[in-house]
Amino acid sequence: MEQVIANGLYLGAQYALIALGLTLIFALMNVLNFAHGQMYVLGGFVTYTIYGQLKLPFVVALICSGVTLAIIGALMEKFLFRTVIRRSKREESTMLLAAATAFFLDAVMLLLFGEKQRGVPKIISGVFISERVILPYDRILVGVVAILMIAAFMVFMQYSRPGRAMRALAQDRVAAQLMGVKVERYSMIGFALGAMLAGVVGGLLVSITGVNSGIGGPISIKAFLMVMIGGAGVVGGAIAGGFILGMMESVGLATLREYGDITYLAIFALLMIFLSIRPHGLMGKPWG
Amino acid sequence: MDALLKFEDVELYYDHVYALKGVSVEVHEGETVALIGANGAGKSSILRAITGLRRIRSGQIQYQGKRIDGIAPDEIVRMGISMVPEARRVFPYMSVRDNLLMGAFTRSDKAGIQQSMEMVLARFPRLKERYSQQAGTMSGGEQQMLVIGRALMARPRLLLLDEPSLGVAPKLVQDIARSIVAINRDEKVSVLLVEQNSRMALRISNRAYALTTGKVALSGTSSELLTDERVRHLYLGGEF
Ligand SMILES: Nc1ncnc2c1ncn2[C@@H]1O[C@H](COP(=O)(O)OP(=O)(O)OP(=O)(O)O)[C@@H](O)[C@H]1O
Ligand SMILES: [Mg+2]
Repeated sequence: MEQVIANGLYLGAQYALIALGLTLIFALMNVLNFAHGQMYVLGGFVTYTIYGQLKLPFVVALICSGVTLAIIGALMEKFLFRTVIRRSKREESTMLLAAATAFFLDAVMLLLFGEKQRGVPKIISGVFISERVILPYDRILVGVVAILMIAAFMVFMQYSRPGRAMRALAQDRVAAQLMGVKVERYSMIGFALGAMLAGVVGGLLVSITGVNSGIGGPISIKAFLMVMIGGAGVVGGAIAGGFILGMMESVGLATLREYGDITYLAIFALLMIFLSIRPHGLMGKPWG
Repeated sequence: MDALLKFEDVELYYDHVYALKGVSVEVHEGETVALIGANGAGKSSILRAITGLRRIRSGQIQYQGKRIDGIAPDEIVRMGISMVPEARRVFPYMSVRDNLLMGAFTRSDKAGIQQSMEMVLARFPRLKERYSQQAGTMSGGEQQMLVIGRALMARPRLLLLDEPSLGVAPKLVQDIARSIVAINRDEKVSVLLVEQNSRMALRISNRAYALTTGKVALSGTSSELLTDERVRHLYLGGEF
């Protein structure tokens, strides 16, 4: 039991961080970023290259993952999404653009890194063993780092000036503009921040599960699941959705094992019922 | 004396439909000027043009002697023009405090911001009581006080108010009218007030313009307009 909870928390922290980035981009720009999983994978490959290949410290690799993705996110906002939003009022335009970006990133990564599963040396070895819980130290470390980052993100959004500006922008674009917020600049910062979160989680997890160029799509799907559970555009919803999905996965893997690989089948079924009752998720409302 | 704001022969279109067809309006330093007129007359369009939310097609807008048409809204705020938009538009999931801090977004003088905060809270004690409450959960009148306070946090020289009495309980309308007078007097802010409640607007303003379908139909001192037969007939219909 404790083992299941520990696994769920560890997974949930990663997931929440992924969902936070996705929901931030959605809240600020009304863009469903289908390429979120691909950004995660790219972050993984950056860490793989810098830590695994070039043998630089893991922290350096993580920072590079974050910075690379922040730059890519900023460029995507400035040159792709901003132009499309300006020219088209239809929401599906940005969705199609996001989907195209996802395919493009998939193709680029396949070309650069091949289709093999890539792993890196363990960041720390050893296993924590108590009577009821067995957890490798590296998972504990990664989980703790993820939780610290969630906390830092929330503090930033809640108490910093740019954080406040982004919340304002998400709640009322015109009113934010009237307060003097440079809408384009903060949309770009928000997109960069969301992409950065995806990249950092990708970098963190490469040390545990490795990375391969095909997992972008599935990660995006998981990210959307979390946002659907918690409610789109809400910080609390993303975090709740992340931990709920992590917990469900952990419980599913522990209890449904003998029936085969049906955990996600069960999760999808549950989610469909849940969404038909609460289409806005647990806390559906714009940014809180 | 030169006008603080000079809105000259402005035309404004939404796609192919005009909203303003050659409108001229002036606000002098220290004045409260009212814009009255029926639904769709173009009152809000004037404010949107001043703040840069909407481009004008022709004419010009001058503020402190400089042309400001074509300048982006976030720059206009920095020049000292703050707007309280139609339908209030508080940031609903932010606290009263954070809403007010957003009002001071363009400023970086910590001590000055603190001073403005105290001034606003003294002027609207209700906001002090609700300091940590989510703005979206407050009453219409409280939200109206909040958005006026939020606009003051930028320390503007010109305050644009779009229907501050709309959706506010009748008892509070008087309070808000009094606040506007006090703000104009104490904070040295000139006010351009858009109102459907023409009687209230004419009572608290120095001068007024009456709009009909994108044109200025009448203008003059507010006391003149209050007793003008045509105004009585067109805009003052019921008793207040
Ligand atoms: N976004 C828009 N798109 C198209 N037409 C618009 C838009 N906003 C306003 N209009 C039109 O422009 C005209 C003037 O509108 P405006 O909002 O300035 O009027 P108003 O005097 O403020 O009216 P109200 O008292 O109802 O607020 C109206 O005919 C209105 O229908
Ligand atoms: Mg209006």
